[in-house]
Amino acid sequence: MTCEEFQRVLPELEGGHNFEQEQHLKTCSRCSELISDLSAISQQARLIGATTEEPSPRVWNSIEITLRQEGLIHEPSPVAGRARVTSWRLSWLVPALAALLVVFGVVLHRPGKQPSRSAMSSPPVVKAVEEPGPELATLADEEQLLGMVAARAPALRADYESDLRAVDEYIRDAERSARSNPNDELAQQYLMNAYEQRAMVYEMAMDRTLP
Amino acid sequence: MHRSVRAASLVALLAWAVAVFAADQVRKDYHFKVHHRASVSIFNQYGPISVRPGSGDQVVVTAILHSDKAEIDTRQSGNRVAVVSHLLGGADADSGRVDYDVLVPANANVTLHSTTGPLRVEKMRGDVILEGNTANVDVRDVSSGHVHVKTLNGPVTLTNVSEGHVEITSVNGDVSLKSVSGPLVHVNSTSGKILYDGDFGDGGEYSLMTHTGDIDATAPAYASIDVVASSERGKVENDFPLQPAHSSFVSRAGSAFAGTMGKAASSVKLLSFSGKIHLKKR
Repeated sequence: MTCEEFQRVLPELEGGHNFEQEQHLKTCSRCSELISDLSAISQQARLIGATTEEPSPRVWNSIEITLRQEGLIHEPSPVAGRARVTSWRLSWLVPALAALLVVFGVVLHRPGKQPSRSAMSSPPVVKAVEEPGPELATLADEEQLLGMVAARAPALRADYESDLRAVDEYIRDAERSARSNPNDELAQQYLMNAYEQRAMVYEMAMDRTLP
Repeated sequence: MHRSVRAASLVALLAWAVAVFAADQVRKDYHFKVHHRASVSIFNQYGPISVRPGSGDQVVVTAILHSDKAEIDTRQSGNRVAVVSHLLGGADADSGRVDYDVLVPANANVTLHSTTGPLRVEKMRGDVILEGNTANVDVRDVSSGHVHVKTLNGPVTLTNVSEGHVEITSVNGDVSLKSVSGPLVHVNSTSGKILYDGDFGDGGEYSLMTHTGDIDATAPAYASIDVVASSERGKVENDFPLQPAHSSFVSRAGSAFAGTMGKAASSVKLLSFSGKIHLKKR
C-alpha cells in the first residue's frame, strides 16, 4: 500500500485499520505521524468544547439566523434513501465543527452587544404599500421570538403572543389603508406607527436585561 | 378588658409578621459622584424604581433586596452610572424583587427598565427614558427634558410635563396625559385608551394615534389648534366650532373632521382605526 492509497481511504477508516493499513503505518513514519496529529487535534477540540462555557441560546439563534441568511442551511427535505455516513467521519467532524462553532460563538457573544435585529425588524413602508407583507416569514419570526421569551420567562409568553397578534392586526389594517390610499399621508403615518409597535415588541422581547 | 387584650394580641401579631417578612430584606446604599448632565440607568427586572432630584452633584441609590436571590451590580464610567439587578438561579418575581429609591441631580438623564415596575420619575429637567412590560409608569413635573416611554401592557401617566419632546409607545396600556405640552407630543398605541387633558400649547405637533383604543381629548375654549380627527370604524365627536382649513383632508360627518381654532398654533392629530374619538371643550 502506498501513502497515496492510504490517505485516500483515511476518511473512511472506522477507528480501526485492516492488516494492510496496519503494515503501512508500521513502515511509514509520514502516515503514522499524520494519524497522530489528527488524533491530537480531535482530543484538543473535545477539550475546548468541554471547558468553554456554553454560549447562551441567543448566540445559537444568531448563528442559525446568519447561516440561513447566507443560504448555508436550509429546511430539511425528504430524501429517498439515507446517505451512509460512517461513524469514523462523524468522529472527526463533530469535534471540529464544535470547535469552530464555539470560536464563532465567542466572537459573536461580546458583553453589552445586542444581537442583530435585522432579521426581525419591520419591513419598510414602501414595500408594504406595493405588495402584501410576507406573512409566513413574519409568523416564523414571531414563533422564534416567542420561543426565546418562553425559554427565559415562560410566564410572559402569553402576554407577548397576545401583544404580537394585536400588533399584527394593526399592521394588516394599516397596510390595507396605505394600499387603498397611497397618497394619503395619514395612512403612511399609521403604517409607520404600526411597524414601530412591532419593532418595540421585538426589542423588548430581545432585551438581554429583561424577559 | 377582653377587647384590649385582643387588640394587644393583634398588634403583637402584626409586629411579628412585619419582623418575619422584613428579616430577609437587605438594604444597600450606593453613592456616586457625578458632574453636570450625568447619565444614570437602572435595570431592575422585578420591583419599583423611583427617581427624584437630590442635592449636590451625586447619585444616591438605596436598594431593598427582598431575598438573596438577587444582587446588585454597579458601574461608573466617568459621568455615567449604571445599576443592574442581577438575578441568581431560582429567582422569581417575589424573591427577585428589588426596590429602588434614587436621588439624582435634577439635570441628569435617566433611563429606567423594569418588567413589573412601577416606574416613577418626578421633578426632573433632564431626559427621561422609561421601559417596562407591565410596569405602571408615572412621570410628573418634568420640564426641558425629553420623555420617552415604552410599555407593552403597562399604563402610562404623565402630569405637568412641558418644554420637551414626549414620545409614548404602548401596545395595550392606557395613556393619560394631563397638562402635557411641548414642541412634540406623540402617542402611539395599539389597543390602549388615550386621554389628554391640556391646552395643546407651545405651538407643538401633537399626534395621538391608536388602532382600536378610544381617544378622549379635553382642551380649553382658547386652544389654538389646527386639528384633524378620524376614525375608520368608530364614532368621532367634536365640541369646538372649527373654522374649515384648506387641505386635502376630507371630512365625514360622524367619522372625521378637520379645522382650526384661534391662530392654529399647534397641529393636533387624533386618529384611530376603530376607536371612538371625542374632542371636548373644558
